[in-house]
Amino acid sequence: MANRIDLSKYVAYLFLLIACFLWVVPLIFGVSTSFRSQTEVVNVGFRLLPVNWVVENYMGVLNNTSTAPILKWLWNSVFIATSHALLVVAMVAITAYGYTRLTFKGRDTLFFVLLAISLFPGVVNLIPSYKIIDTLGWVNTPWAMIFPGLAGMGNLFLVRQFMLGIPKELDECAKIDGANDFRIFYSIILPLVRPVLIVVFLFSFTGSWNDFLWPVIVYTDVNKMPITAGLLLLQDIYGNYRMIGQLMASALIAIIPTVLLFLFAQKHFVKSINLNAGLKG
Amino acid sequence: MKLNGRLTPTFFIGPHLIFFLVFFLLPSITGIYASFTQWNLINDPVWVGGSNYRTILFDTNSTFHHQFINGLKNTLLFVALSVPLLIVIPLLIAVSLEHKKVKMKNLIQAIIYVPGLISISAAALIWGLIFNNQLGVANNLFGVDVAWAATQPYAWIIIIIITLWGGVGGNLIIYRASIHGVSRDLFEAAEMDGAGPIRKFFSVTIPSIRFPLIYTFVMTTAGCFNVFGQPLMMTSGGPNQSTTVLMMYIRDLAFSHGESIAGMASAMAVLLGLVILIISAFQYYLLNRNAS
Amino acid sequence: MKRTFIKATPIACMSMLLLAGCGDKNTISFWTPLTGDDGVFMDEMIDEYNATDPEFKVEHVITSDMYTKMYTVMNSGSGIPDLAIIHADRVPSFVKQGMLEPMTDVIRSQEGLQAENYLEQAYHSGNIDGVQYTIPLDIHANAMYYNQDLLSKYGVEHFLDDDVVTFDELLSLQGKLEDGDYAVNDSLISWVILAQIQNLGGDIEDENGNPAINTPEMKQAIEAVKGIADAGLMTPYGEDGYLMFQSGNVLFSTDGTWTSTAHEMVDGLSFGVTNIYAFDSDVFHNRASSHLFTLLTNEDRSDEKEAGIADFLEWLRTNSMKWAEAGQIVASNQVFEDSSYNQYTQSFFTENQKQVDSLYIYTYEYYPYVAEALDTYAADMVHGNLDIEEGLETMQKFVEDKIAEGVN
Repeated sequence: MANRIDLSKYVAYLFLLIACFLWVVPLIFGVSTSFRSQTEVVNVGFRLLPVNWVVENYMGVLNNTSTAPILKWLWNSVFIATSHALLVVAMVAITAYGYTRLTFKGRDTLFFVLLAISLFPGVVNLIPSYKIIDTLGWVNTPWAMIFPGLAGMGNLFLVRQFMLGIPKELDECAKIDGANDFRIFYSIILPLVRPVLIVVFLFSFTGSWNDFLWPVIVYTDVNKMPITAGLLLLQDIYGNYRMIGQLMASALIAIIPTVLLFLFAQKHFVKSINLNAGLKG
Repeated sequence: MKLNGRLTPTFFIGPHLIFFLVFFLLPSITGIYASFTQWNLINDPVWVGGSNYRTILFDTNSTFHHQFINGLKNTLLFVALSVPLLIVIPLLIAVSLEHKKVKMKNLIQAIIYVPGLISISAAALIWGLIFNNQLGVANNLFGVDVAWAATQPYAWIIIIIITLWGGVGGNLIIYRASIHGVSRDLFEAAEMDGAGPIRKFFSVTIPSIRFPLIYTFVMTTAGCFNVFGQPLMMTSGGPNQSTTVLMMYIRDLAFSHGESIAGMASAMAVLLGLVILIISAFQYYLLNRNAS
Repeated sequence: MKRTFIKATPIACMSMLLLAGCGDKNTISFWTPLTGDDGVFMDEMIDEYNATDPEFKVEHVITSDMYTKMYTVMNSGSGIPDLAIIHADRVPSFVKQGMLEPMTDVIRSQEGLQAENYLEQAYHSGNIDGVQYTIPLDIHANAMYYNQDLLSKYGVEHFLDDDVVTFDELLSLQGKLEDGDYAVNDSLISWVILAQIQNLGGDIEDENGNPAINTPEMKQAIEAVKGIADAGLMTPYGEDGYLMFQSGNVLFSTDGTWTSTAHEMVDGLSFGVTNIYAFDSDVFHNRASSHLFTLLTNEDRSDEKEAGIADFLEWLRTNSMKWAEAGQIVASNQVFEDSSYNQYTQSFFTENQKQVDSLYIYTYEYYPYVAEALDTYAADMVHGNLDIEEGLETMQKFVEDKIAEGVN
């Protein structure tokens, strides 16, 4: 018995080691490429780390202040992504409660109809979407980025699935004790789905952060742009000219905040309250 | 109390419903309407009835028919190749990470998750260099002399590799958050009964996270149907359009250099949507039934 | 119905407060697709212009996905820019869709904006049925870079003597190159083929304006390029021939005039520029496009503003030396005839009239579809993945089917 557990440990370790190696090598290679000159990039032969570390790629990206006010972009993105993610979490938690805990006619049908509609690819919806934003007067404002995404079904589907996993006995007890839905939602369900809400926050923050197609359409003012759309102005040309160092540098600058958020969030989404605690006994 | 009870659903689902109608349903209706028209995105759409659909589905001489069939075939191939891996690999990593004695869990998780944050163009450059015949590791270290992007099945292999590299992290996080919620008691009870790690995985872990599993299955599949960045960047759809996915054709029709053919593009998008819908519904039905 | 929803949302009320006044009356909003360093050069020129204290200052908006954005504003009718730069390929279909206004008034208010002051083909590419819709900024062309060191290594500097490398010269390298070295890469291969069609006296449209892809000239052009690949002289399919040129393994790179700035970043790469290879050193072409100033249809644009636009364009005509730094062939005679222009690599293409004439801009209405067809099929035909006859038929059908879907 003891042997068996030890063996599983080694299998787990071996598997993780291989996975980490496969995932981390390209990552290191990407980071190190951002410190290579073009001359070194095109040199024949493979090296994981640069021979000469250069910071010109980063300087090139950061010094281009006339067309690329990067600090402003960063602030715009932080504002947009944070407000968007907070609103998504609130909306999704409340709505998912409605679709799992309340009973009204056609509840599940409604949910699945919405989900079905959302599965249609929206490539050509760009123009009608723009018209709506334009009608609302949101062109060139952060609202164009913050609000439309609240209509999304993905996160709602995720949280709904988690709530379905919470035993009904929990709220039934509370109902007998006289609690109403608002109270059950706030004091019983909400704490239990907190880990997944942190995941939703992370996903919607990074989703909003990385979106580039939509902001390119709704912003003309370079000072109001979020960073991913802004950096695209630079990346386009780096890509076309295969200026690989600069492209990597700009891509890495753009992910620093999302990486930091992830490192912060990951402490929390596994530090959850045990779903079944208090119920099993 | 009674009145409150009647209005409760409105309060809980109402706000989202409004947003959905304005920002999702309204544009989608326009999109579906467009699929029955000839439209260049500028002038008013001209109603042509089901002609776009007839051309795409039945006119075997038409370029659009060929594009649709080829694009759908390649998309289905991509989905079939990548979805199982995008489910199984993160699941195995998540389970391994749950092992009590494994250390540096957060570091490992970060390493797997961070690539998904990097923009597709930068990721494509990294992998493009790694598989580059002259400069790359694949050829220089392992002596494989293959023009990856232009030879099958290698073209698909590099597309799948870059997809996994960026895509495993998201599902991993969902699985970790879910597995962590599973009661320790269940595992301990299973151990008492003499269950080994594999038995525990199948009889405790999987059933306990069945709802998140259904979610990842359906959404990963829908996501993979919408793929276009990876093949566009890695192979440009080649060789011989064997990696050109439907979404690439749709985008080209709507937003390429020439006059836009948005009506046809919309019709293809609607058909793709129907395929996604049927497959998702089937998956959901199958998994939900087995789960309960 | 829609109204009710909007009124019902508190967010909509908030938006009313935030509704910003759009478009200043006294500025010219100017959209360009000039991302990266190109945009910086344009910004510097505009700053300089605005410093002259003109009546209408120019406000530059760079957009990475400009055409999609143009469609969205044109369709919704608000937020249309006063002035924009578009590519020559787009002009015929934009005119047909009623998206462009003639430049007639602008040209009338500034004498300098006449055809004779610009490269002819650049100016002409904005002329549809005798009406001028654009003023050119530049020409950007397909160009062939050579690696000086490799030329001397293989003793073939004489290829450049008459400024044209021929197919025969390239083929003479067969069997003479070291393993891993290649004569030419396959960058912008469809542009190279489009140049050969001109070299062969062919075209991509017939006399009735119908697309002509499946032609003997196209076949010969593709077969000739395939001949180079078959001889093992072309970088293999799927390899990044552009980077291979920079790493010093390719004698000739068929990319664009604008890439000289990127090649300069590679230490130890001694390169120069010449024409795209041709059948015969007397007849040679380089497929080109052009950045063109244009007025998107917008009834709100006042006559005064149009005069302001004319002032700006006239200023650029005489002050756009800066644009040469972006690697583009400046279209204004006054600029490219200036002696300080000679320091730029691309001045090669305006050295003499024969060179100027080699820059060929396709003005066929359906050129974008033809280019798309070539981009989709040419590489597979050249590298032997697709039978040429079959490919030509498919491309012909591809273009015809797309044209048939146009709203007429």
